[in-house]
Amino acid sequence: MTGALLRRSLRRKLNGWVTLSVVGAFLALLPSLYIFFGLFQKQNENWQHIQEYMLLDYALQSLWLVLGTGACTIIVGVTLAWLVAAYDFPLRRFFSFAFVLPLAIPPYIAAYTYGSMLSYTGSIQTILRDTFGLTLDQRYFDIMSMKGAIFIFTLFLFPYVYLITKTFLEKQSAVFIENARLLGKNQTHIFFRIVLPMSQAAIVGGASLVAFEVLNDFGVTKHFGIQSFTAAIFKTWFGMYDVESAIRLSAWLMTLIIGIFIVERLVRKRKKYSSPTNRSTPLTRRKLRGIPMYATVIFGLVIVSFSFVIPVVQLSVWATWTYGEVLNETFWKLLSNTLFISSISITILMLLAVIVANVIRFSRGSIFAVALTRLISMGYSIPGAVLSIGVMAVVMSVDKELSSFYSWLGLGANKLVLSMSLFMLTFAYIIRFLAVGFNAVEAGFEKTGNRYSEAARMLGMSMTRTFFKVDLPLIRGAVLTGFILVFMEIVKELPLTLLLRPYNFETLATKAYQYASDEQIHQAAIPSLCIIAVGIVSVIFYHWLGERKAK
Amino acid sequence: MTFFEVKNLTFGYASGNGSVIRDFSLQMEQGEVVGLLGNSGCGKSTLLRLIAGLESPKSGRIQIDGKVLVDQGQFVEPEQRGIGMIFQDYALFPHLTVEQNILFGLHRLSIAERLVRLKEMLALVQLEGYGKRYPHELSGGQQQRVAFARALAPRPAILLMDEPFSNLDAELKTKIRDDLKRMLRAAKMTSILVTHDKADAETICNRIIRMTR
Repeated sequence: MTGALLRRSLRRKLNGWVTLSVVGAFLALLPSLYIFFGLFQKQNENWQHIQEYMLLDYALQSLWLVLGTGACTIIVGVTLAWLVAAYDFPLRRFFSFAFVLPLAIPPYIAAYTYGSMLSYTGSIQTILRDTFGLTLDQRYFDIMSMKGAIFIFTLFLFPYVYLITKTFLEKQSAVFIENARLLGKNQTHIFFRIVLPMSQAAIVGGASLVAFEVLNDFGVTKHFGIQSFTAAIFKTWFGMYDVESAIRLSAWLMTLIIGIFIVERLVRKRKKYSSPTNRSTPLTRRKLRGIPMYATVIFGLVIVSFSFVIPVVQLSVWATWTYGEVLNETFWKLLSNTLFISSISITILMLLAVIVANVIRFSRGSIFAVALTRLISMGYSIPGAVLSIGVMAVVMSVDKELSSFYSWLGLGANKLVLSMSLFMLTFAYIIRFLAVGFNAVEAGFEKTGNRYSEAARMLGMSMTRTFFKVDLPLIRGAVLTGFILVFMEIVKELPLTLLLRPYNFETLATKAYQYASDEQIHQAAIPSLCIIAVGIVSVIFYHWLGERKAK
Repeated sequence: MTFFEVKNLTFGYASGNGSVIRDFSLQMEQGEVVGLLGNSGCGKSTLLRLIAGLESPKSGRIQIDGKVLVDQGQFVEPEQRGIGMIFQDYALFPHLTVEQNILFGLHRLSIAERLVRLKEMLALVQLEGYGKRYPHELSGGQQQRVAFARALAPRPAILLMDEPFSNLDAELKTKIRDDLKRMLRAAKMTSILVTHDKADAETICNRIIRMTR
């Protein structure tokens, strides 16, 4: 009886769309599986050494970095979100957007920009010496340290906390805050007793994004010489050629990440406050006057200068020094490489994202849908270095399996075809950023709902025809958003590209990094500005979408 | 002879416990208009979705004209059932014109036949001259008529209507209701109307079934 029912529902649900989604999700899981299996391999001597002398250090350094950055981004992000959401002051609308702009600048670019500016021969000390005749203690300018790294990460990652918290405060908090005001509480009391506890889930959500970014980072820690987990993976992999230990380190890092995940879930579990009515009244802003107003404006200007204006101006100045030398054929090759690899990856990625989102929306809430969503979104929280090593292991073993096929094709024995090609990098990009594209498409489907598709099916169209005639035209905007956001992510992605590109394949990001690590920081300005330009376009686009939605 | 039959239909959502519909049975003659009356949450919309094939039942059987649509071993996909449905909010495709909306379900006909059918339908719902408009350029009553024309155009074996008057204001409703009755009779449509308004059901239907939880 139930057997027949099961067969009926299997026969019904197993169509091309579902099969493709399941295959996609499985492929996305594969690299992580490889890494976890790495834990059960026999330990080699090198690992014993690493474990005894270095592991604790790596862990502590990464932990300090995450905790320090987390705390600072929360302080800056929440303060700014509260100011923008609850008060009115000159330039408020400008700030509301300008505080998102730092997202356009990848932290590694900011790191070598500030690093070079603050060095003995950099612009700041030169101006101080030549104009004011000041030679200060070098300790004041030491940015190449843990504190410096936290400073950089905070300046360029706080927008995650700011954005999520601000949206929450603007949409959800009005009723409670107004009530507190009516009950005679003052502003400080409201902030600490109402706003902070209420937006806890939003803040933790933002901060965990920051934590993932910090753990993913390779450029900043490498440039500043900090022994983080990611830097250590690089070192064991390329310095000691010990892939096994690198995999083992990756597995440990994954454990740390899963830990953060669980903490986030536990904190958010019962704290998803939202007002009981759907009708959300916007918060009425209070006008600031006098000293608080000036202080707020100055604070905002300082943040915008440090987190956007100063580095961009500095890079532009360097660009004017070096454009003659940098803008040559190699540079155009860089551009076309970047566009080529990103367009291939984005096309496949968005196809998969659309397919999975289309499958999930008809079975929302089922265990199958939840599992599929988790698997698809997993890549985004795996650090680039870890993912690369997993992808590498997978692709190499595929190559090994295929070696007889290769020699049959006449390519020669023991040839590594896939691992030497762009296939590996494309595969990794797709796994890592699938979540970004998927979320955009899913938001589109959620907005249109299922009724149009149901109407189309009732009129005799199959799922596939319905998709092309009804769904796709209706979610076009969401798909475009996905394209742009993923494009920004791929263009600025450093560790994945660095590790998995074929020999001599340079993109804007790898070239900028290479210039910077060869002490040719001024030459890095032009590729960096290109990356920032792409970032600015997508931030503007995203902001514009948000504004339109609000209307 | 029984044209349409629902037998011992039971349904429950995967996440919830208990059944929304338990052992529901119904028989209909060809051309009959049956009204399903009940409060919100009694499962009447779910019943329509089960007949349409948008949900699958736990157990029971639905068959039409001797052909099984769903039972323990079989499930005919909604697009293969030949059932028409008018949704509560009409679900007219916002990116298509009135003509394109009505033509949407006619893909199995030849092009010449499609145009003939389109003309017939526009005449039936008295919307000649509105073919090039988009749904948002029509009034609520006009939208409802387009939805009717779209559902009826492919000549479904049975027409399901889910609260088709709930989005109309009271004044308009009486007229539309009479129009709908006229059009259903003209097309000799076997249909099921789901509503919570007794007057709706009494005006249009030959037979009324009350659903309780």
